[in-house]
Amino acid sequence: MNSLRFRLIGVVLVINYALAPLLYLGVSVIVQRGYAELFVNSVRSFSRLTADELEAADDRDFEESAARLLDGAMLTGQIAFAEISDGKRKFHSSIPVDVTVIPRPDDFDFGDHGDQIYYISHSVKRGSRSMFLRLGFDERPTLESITAAKRRVLLAVLSFTLASILVSIWLSAVIARPMVRLREAAKRVAGGDVHTRLQMSSTIREVQDLTHHLESMRRELVGANERLASEIREREVSELKRLELERRLLHRERIAAIGTLAGGVAHEFNNILTPILLYSQLALKDTPADSARAKDLGRIVSAAHRARSLIMRILTFSRQTDSQGVTVFPLRSTVEEALALLRAIVPTNIEIVFDAQCEEIRLSGDPSLVHQVVINLGTNAYQAMQRTGGRLLVRLWVAPVRATPEAGTESSAILEVIDTGHGIEPAALAHIFEPFFTTRDVGEGTGLGLSVVHGIVTSMGGRISVESEVGRGATFRVHFPVAAPGALAAVVEGS
Amino acid sequence: MERSAVLTMRRAVLLLLLLFGAPWGSAGSQSVVLVVRTDSPVTDLDSVTVRKLFLGLPVLINGRPLHPIRNRADALLDQIFLQEIVAMSQTAYDRQTLTGLNRQGWLRPSEVDSGDAALGKVLADANAVTFVWQRDLAAHNEQVRVIRVLWSD
Repeated sequence: MNSLRFRLIGVVLVINYALAPLLYLGVSVIVQRGYAELFVNSVRSFSRLTADELEAADDRDFEESAARLLDGAMLTGQIAFAEISDGKRKFHSSIPVDVTVIPRPDDFDFGDHGDQIYYISHSVKRGSRSMFLRLGFDERPTLESITAAKRRVLLAVLSFTLASILVSIWLSAVIARPMVRLREAAKRVAGGDVHTRLQMSSTIREVQDLTHHLESMRRELVGANERLASEIREREVSELKRLELERRLLHRERIAAIGTLAGGVAHEFNNILTPILLYSQLALKDTPADSARAKDLGRIVSAAHRARSLIMRILTFSRQTDSQGVTVFPLRSTVEEALALLRAIVPTNIEIVFDAQCEEIRLSGDPSLVHQVVINLGTNAYQAMQRTGGRLLVRLWVAPVRATPEAGTESSAILEVIDTGHGIEPAALAHIFEPFFTTRDVGEGTGLGLSVVHGIVTSMGGRISVESEVGRGATFRVHFPVAAPGALAAVVEGS
Repeated sequence: MERSAVLTMRRAVLLLLLLFGAPWGSAGSQSVVLVVRTDSPVTDLDSVTVRKLFLGLPVLINGRPLHPIRNRADALLDQIFLQEIVAMSQTAYDRQTLTGLNRQGWLRPSEVDSGDAALGKVLADANAVTFVWQRDLAAHNEQVRVIRVLWSD
């Protein structure tokens, strides 16, 4: 009942119920007064004229004139009583009158006395004689006209009321229908279906305006919502990138700290090892070759060499070794050479595949270091597959040119070493490039292979990453910066 | 229902007028008469002339216009005036006199609100004509002259 439609109809009904009786009563009073006025004017004029005529009648045949005048009055059909009296005699019309009519004093207003007869008397002066003309006019025709007019007024008021109710129902439907549709559409939008268009076909300008503004608001909301969602996505991506960068930075700093520490320790050991190796070799020269002492000294020299090799690897990781020489070299053939060596030590149940998706690429640096990178990564891969066998895929390709803020454009050579081994635990991934970190049993590995690779790649200005899932192998991806076209000349001049 | 209520109210008003507004009611027969000053040149006026006079039409006696004075002392006298003299309703009378005033330049009769005032005007003007209850003439019998009886109950 609180709907717009019911309210509109209700208001019209209330107005009609309140005003219709007042309208009927008001118009009825006006009609009645109009008819009464007309009646009174007519009868007063008629009676006055009759009296004037009587007053002017000839004295000789007065009685005959009076009778003719009264007959004429009676024949109008509107007079119920007519009489002339001079105090002694009374003259009446020859036309019979209603015997029930009893003359009484004059009326001065329509409807007085309730006998439905309007009495008027006029004094008629004829010379010295005074007489009175008394006429009684029938009010019933006028009363009937008033009743009929009131009935017509009632009919008109009822028709008007009915018409206004029908119009209000139609009008309320015209106004309310688009509003109801608009409400349903707005509900759908509020329920999440933001792509429901708010459009109505209405001839009412206010409804059109409302629809237009609501649709504009919906579009604005949809746009704002999409912008907000996009911004949230962007923020999530940047947050992930930031976390990744932070993780990398921490990792790099940790590796660098470990490298510095390991490099310092390696230097000290190298200094200690140098006299041991030197003097044990001198002592070995002065000792007969087949003596037991020579064998012992040989073991000392051998152990010192192994220690030196270990120290060199630690220094390589910490980038404190002296490079054999910077040059511009072909990457593809260097990788192929390393793979040829690797094939000699890899069991036959492991297939080695080399997939070079690029022409010859030239890098600037020490080719032996790249050689070592391939050997170390290959060794790491086949050790992960040596029990079950598998496939070792080495891919070489050039990444698309990308812009860098420091050096303008830069292209990278990507070396991927992919194995189908047991994979790496997620917890181990964060530490895999740290020196002496190993998942193998004691004595099976030093934990320096990948840390050395990390050190070499970093020293060449590249970077290394790893992806792995347990049971699904691992992928090591090395990015080498490609040498610029003028790099060879620069290298030659430098050397 | 509504009509009978209106009629009842009218009857009550008329009854009140008869009882309180018309003390002459107890004096028996009552009449309304047309009067002029005793020395007035007016000797007789027929009903048509009286009607003309009170509708504002110029009526000349001996070349001088008569001055009608409408006595509105009470409601019954008003109704008698409208019914017996001008023979029309108050609305029609107003319309008629205003039309005469606007179109022909006729003057509306001057109006007074008591019989004494009407008689005072008549006594002051030999060409004045008015109508009063006959009982009001008692104190002025020698000074005014009745031309004709207009109404009698």
